Amino acid sequence: MVQSAKPTPNTWCPGCGDFGVLAAAKKAIADLKIPPHEVVLVGGIGCSGGIHNFIDINGVHALHGRLLAQAVGLKLANPQMTVIAAGGDGDGYAIGMGHFMHAFKKNASILYIVMNNETYGLTKGQASPTSRLGFEGNVEVPFDAILTALSIPTGAFIARTFSGDPKTMTAVLSEALQFNRDHRGYAFVEDLSPCVTYNDTFKEWREKIVNIEKLPGYDPTDRSAVFRLCTETMNAGKIPIGVMHRPSKPSDPVSNPLELKLLPDNVGPARADIDLEHNLAAYKALLASAA
Amino acid sequence: MTTPATQAPSQAVEASPAQRRATTELSDVSVIVGGQGGDGTLTVVDLLGRYFRKRGLYVYTSRNTLSRIRGGHADASVRACRDPRAAIKAKADLLLAFDQEAIDVVRTDLDPDALVLYDSTAFKADYPNSLGFPFATLVGGQLGQPIYKNTAAYGAISVLMGFDDAVVRQVIEERFKRRGADALDKNLKALEMGRQAALSVPSAVNRWSLVEGDAHNLILTTGNQATALGFVVGGGRFFAGYPITPATEIMEYLMRYLPNYHGVVRQGEDELASINMVVGAATTGARAMTSTSGPGLSLMTEGIGHAGTAELGILIADCQRVGPSTGQPTRHEQSDLAHLAHLGHGEFPKFILSPGSTEDCFYMTIDALNLAEKWRLPVILLMDQALCQNAATVPAFDLSKVKVERPSLVTPEQAAKLAEYRYYAFSPNGISPFAPVGTPGVTSQITGNEHDEWGHVSVNPVNRNKMMEKRMGKLVQARDELPRPRYFGRKDARIGLIGYGSTSGPILEAMDLLDAEGLATKYLQARTLFPVQTEILSPFFDSVDLAFVVEHNYTGQLARLIREELPQYYAKLRSVLKYDGFSFRAPEIAGPIREAVHGSKR
Repeated sequence: MVQSAKPTPNTWCPGCGDFGVLAAAKKAIADLKIPPHEVVLVGGIGCSGGIHNFIDINGVHALHGRLLAQAVGLKLANPQMTVIAAGGDGDGYAIGMGHFMHAFKKNASILYIVMNNETYGLTKGQASPTSRLGFEGNVEVPFDAILTALSIPTGAFIARTFSGDPKTMTAVLSEALQFNRDHRGYAFVEDLSPCVTYNDTFKEWREKIVNIEKLPGYDPTDRSAVFRLCTETMNAGKIPIGVMHRPSKPSDPVSNPLELKLLPDNVGPARADIDLEHNLAAYKALLASAA
Repeated sequence: MTTPATQAPSQAVEASPAQRRATTELSDVSVIVGGQGGDGTLTVVDLLGRYFRKRGLYVYTSRNTLSRIRGGHADASVRACRDPRAAIKAKADLLLAFDQEAIDVVRTDLDPDALVLYDSTAFKADYPNSLGFPFATLVGGQLGQPIYKNTAAYGAISVLMGFDDAVVRQVIEERFKRRGADALDKNLKALEMGRQAALSVPSAVNRWSLVEGDAHNLILTTGNQATALGFVVGGGRFFAGYPITPATEIMEYLMRYLPNYHGVVRQGEDELASINMVVGAATTGARAMTSTSGPGLSLMTEGIGHAGTAELGILIADCQRVGPSTGQPTRHEQSDLAHLAHLGHGEFPKFILSPGSTEDCFYMTIDALNLAEKWRLPVILLMDQALCQNAATVPAFDLSKVKVERPSLVTPEQAAKLAEYRYYAFSPNGISPFAPVGTPGVTSQITGNEHDEWGHVSVNPVNRNKMMEKRMGKLVQARDELPRPRYFGRKDARIGLIGYGSTSGPILEAMDLLDAEGLATKYLQARTLFPVQTEILSPFFDSVDLAFVVEHNYTGQLARLIREELPQYYAKLRSVLKYDGFSFRAPEIAGPIREAVHGSKR
């Protein structure tokens, strides 16, 4: 093992919900026995986006809102990597909304964790896309990422967790990472992660969360059923959490044909042999056919 | 020539037969084909280009299309020349028109002796020297479909220009053999109908004769295709882009080429996604590129700055078009340089390289990939619409002239022997060894935040200074490795020209015009635009009395950039500018120079 970048001391406020995600991610990576050099965490901008500094794996600190694009590019260039993108609700649902939607379409086998605290914490408590009406003068309807994700017809793994329940979160992240490592496609997890300084919702959320998996009629392979359970739960003033979508069988064809194509011989853009001599015959043929 | 027509389709409409001339020998001919989008104008230009190449002539083709899928005026031109000319001829010799609009649009681009050949099915040409055949009716009657009218017109042109029949046929066979036997048969029949029609008009036969050239073993390609090929050969394996004229063909070619080399091409949801996918791919050690044009470049600016400070080697091809905003998507301009030279917020190093010719696009793309990876920074390949999309004959690309070099790369074998690895290690030349994400045993932190050697966020002022000096110092450290200019013309000339990209073609032709008048000039073709090569430009300025910077924009962006770095040559600098959306014709460059030197118009 080469001595390389080590985690830095944590800078989050004591009690921050993001600690739950950090602990669960570390545990999931350890449980799956992924070597540190084979996993990379692409962080966004904001308190939560700094998570890559606090964990002993590769870290990429992306531009605000662009972490998904960087994570997808990284994964397609080296499909052997386990790629986690992680950031906040402002990063993912405001400035990064275009990529949020397209990540489902792109369906690269990466895990995206959004730590939703319904505020812009790092800039001291402005309204975010998920803020409720009236929060810091917010007059816009809060955005619901789970309902949106359920409405996009892909084979993605979708779940919502709560930082106050690290055990469930670890199980969900482990499943999501395994889903990725099997090249079954995109995994999206929204974690309810309160900002203890500007929007401390720990107590309220603990009271309001409802594990949707325990409701009658729950079927994670049926988007419309889960969508209905979610809206009913929300209408009752509660917050649904749990696995929202789980594609039917692990034996189903993997959903990213491009990754599959890159995998059999363990070659993709990053590992391609670009030595000129080794490719000379192929290049000559290419130039001849193009002329 | 075969015998004249036995059948006499004397439906020809001939204007001004009195102007008929004896056969003129041409060593430099230009044909424009114009009509509505969908008339097949590009096909005729392609057929003529193929014929000319078989006769050993240099070929240069350009197209003038509107930003719409079908309809609207469209024209294209092909120039064939015994000398290598990478420019549109100032005045065309022949126009093939499918409607009156085609004549009206290019009227001022025609030589006074030019002939307008037109399809008289639908209209009678309003032009003094014209010859009409009802091509659409001729082929429509016998082949059932008027779409072969363009092939018939090619047949008529072959008679007018005294082409070799066998070669004319050979061109049709090559062009249409892939479309199946029926299509080939109908095109051959249409060709013959066009030929016979022209042969029935004695004044049309052998109106011109074309010299043969000795330019053989050339390929006809565009800057966009040459760039795509260079990307593959230079080890490029990841491309992400968003469709935008005139850059899209780079992506389209790579969609065909890259999958055969473990490469990946992805279309982003926008330019923000595209540049950031490229950045992400670059962390893995894959050689990665995007291509775009002005509007996309504006969106990519933040991402390019990120690559500069995160020290990721990426390549961005900017195919300039008329700006700002949507501007004129299909038209030519060189107006992004000022933006690129001062790109983004904050300060970071980048190289701006510009290929001087279609051929250079291939080789320079490979050099750019090597430089981007070695120096770990963004490299911009600055092109322009004419360079990107006009096709030129160039020598076949020579693989013995290229190198794929990876001096900064830390291989897994090398990494295994390391005691420690710092992603942003300080070094005398500013280059930190590059162990891609995924290297066994190594974990790295890569960030756009200011950072220390380990990639940890740092606000330490001493570290900030050292990191800025490390990154920005690359602009000085790399100087000797950046592409050098090419020089043309008379060494002892006191009149200098400076230009880049596609302007080289018309500049070289303008120099010949001036030379013929006894005005000696020399030309510095700039190939590295940033950092400004002051140590190379200074002796050039010292050697001339006046230096004309020829470029396609309103404010003289290259001239201003040079002036910023070399203010002492202010008095010698002159600008020759054009910003109407079309590329220079040689007289438009020769004129202002002649005027400035002689003090008045001649």
